[in-house]
Amino acid sequence: MKNEIRFFLNEKEVVYTGSATARLLDVLRNEFELTGVKCGCKEGECGACCVLLNDQLVNSCMVAMGFVDGGIVVTIEGYRKTNQFRVLDKAFATTAAVQCGYCIPGMILAAESILSRNPHPTAETIREGISGNLCRCTGYNAIVKAIEIAANEGEGLW
Amino acid sequence: MVNGYAPSGMREALDILSKTSAIPYAGGTDLMIQEVPADTNYLFLHRIRDLKCITVDAEYFICGACCTYTELLNSRHTPDLLKEAIARIAAPAIRNTATIGGNVANASPKADAALILMVTDTLVRIQSKNGVRIVPISDLYLGRGQIDLLPGELITEFWMPNNRAHLPHSYEKVGGRKALAISRVSFAGISDVSDGQITHFATAFGAVSDVIIRRPELDALLIGKSIEEAKVAKEEYLAKMDETLVPIQGRVSAAYRKAVCMNFLEDFLAKNGI
Repeated sequence: MKNEIRFFLNEKEVVYTGSATARLLDVLRNEFELTGVKCGCKEGECGACCVLLNDQLVNSCMVAMGFVDGGIVVTIEGYRKTNQFRVLDKAFATTAAVQCGYCIPGMILAAESILSRNPHPTAETIREGISGNLCRCTGYNAIVKAIEIAANEGEGLW
Repeated sequence: MVNGYAPSGMREALDILSKTSAIPYAGGTDLMIQEVPADTNYLFLHRIRDLKCITVDAEYFICGACCTYTELLNSRHTPDLLKEAIARIAAPAIRNTATIGGNVANASPKADAALILMVTDTLVRIQSKNGVRIVPISDLYLGRGQIDLLPGELITEFWMPNNRAHLPHSYEKVGGRKALAISRVSFAGISDVSDGQITHFATAFGAVSDVIIRRPELDALLIGKSIEEAKVAKEEYLAKMDETLVPIQGRVSAAYRKAVCMNFLEDFLAKNGI
C-alpha cells in the first residue's frame, strides 16, 4: 500500500507522507507554510480555517489528510490569484469589511462558495452562506454589503 | 497511507474492518474533535459509491450512510421533514462534509438528523463481511455514545418508510443561536388524520436524555381514535409522557428542558386539533 497522499494544492500536485489522521489545517500551515489558513477554534465553530476542497467550502480543522487524497484544495493563497478575488478584495475595502482581518481568508472563500452557486444572492442567502464564519470586529453588515457589491461588480465572473 | 485506509469499494472496506481496529471515517466532523491515540487508523469511506446513494423505491426513501447533509438538502428525493432538520444543522462548511451515517454512529442524543430517523421508524442496514442485518433505528442506541454495532460491522444505508416520511409533521429545535447551534431541546412529530380518525401518531424528543426519546407505546394511546376520543385521552397521554420524560441536567436545567418538551408536545397536539 502506498504511503503517500497526493492532492492538488493551489493548482500544483503535492505529496504528503505523514499521518492520514492529521488535520488538513495543521498540514497546510506547518508543512506547506500556507499561513493564510487561520487557526481559530479547531472544532468547526469559527470558520477561520476554511478552504475549498473539491469546490466546496470546508473547515480544514475538521478534515483528516486521508480524506484529501486525490482531491483539489484551494487556500486563500491560491484564490488570491483569481479575478474573482480582485473583485471581492476591492468590495471588502470599499465597505471597510476588514478590521483585524483574522476571519477574512475564510470569509472570502465563503463568499466565493456563495457566489459560485448563486451569482446574485439575496442578503439572506449571503448571511446563511457566511453563518459558519465568525467575525468579532465588523458586526457582519459590512461583509454582507461587500459580497453584494462584489456580486454586482463581478458580473459574468460567477 | 500512514494511519489510514481509503478503499474504493464495499468489499475491500469490510475486509479491512474485519481484520483491523480502524475507525470508520465518514465526514469526520465528529471524529476530528476527539482526542485519539497517535497509532489510530481511520478507514476513509468517501470513495465508496454504494454509501452515497439517494433514491426512492415503492416502500422507502433510501440514503447511503455517507451522504453529506448538503447532498441530502440538494436531492429532490429527500423528504421535507429531514430537509427541515438538516437545514438547521451547523453551517454550510460543516454540512458539506458531515454525513447522516456519522450523525447516527456518533450516538449523541442531540443528533438532529437521527431524531427524524427515529420519529419515522427508519430502518438501518448494517453490513459486515459475514452478511447484512436490518434493524429499527431505535434498537441501535444503547446509551450516550454507545451503539449496537459488532466489530467488523458498518452502517451502510437508512430506509425511511414512505408512509411515514411524507406525513404532516412538526420539527422544533431550541439552540443558543441561529447557526452552529447544538440542540438544547429538539422535537419531531408526525401524524396521519384521515376522516377525523388518527391512523398514525409519533413523537420523538432529542437532547434531553442519554438517548433520543421515542415512546411508541404511549403514542399508541391516540392511534385509532377519533379527534374527539383523542381529546378525552389527551390528559392521560400527557400525564404518561410527563412521567416518561426525565431530562438530564446540562448547560440548561432539567426543569427547563422538561417544560420545553411538554410545550412542544401540547403544540403538536393542538396542531392536530387535539
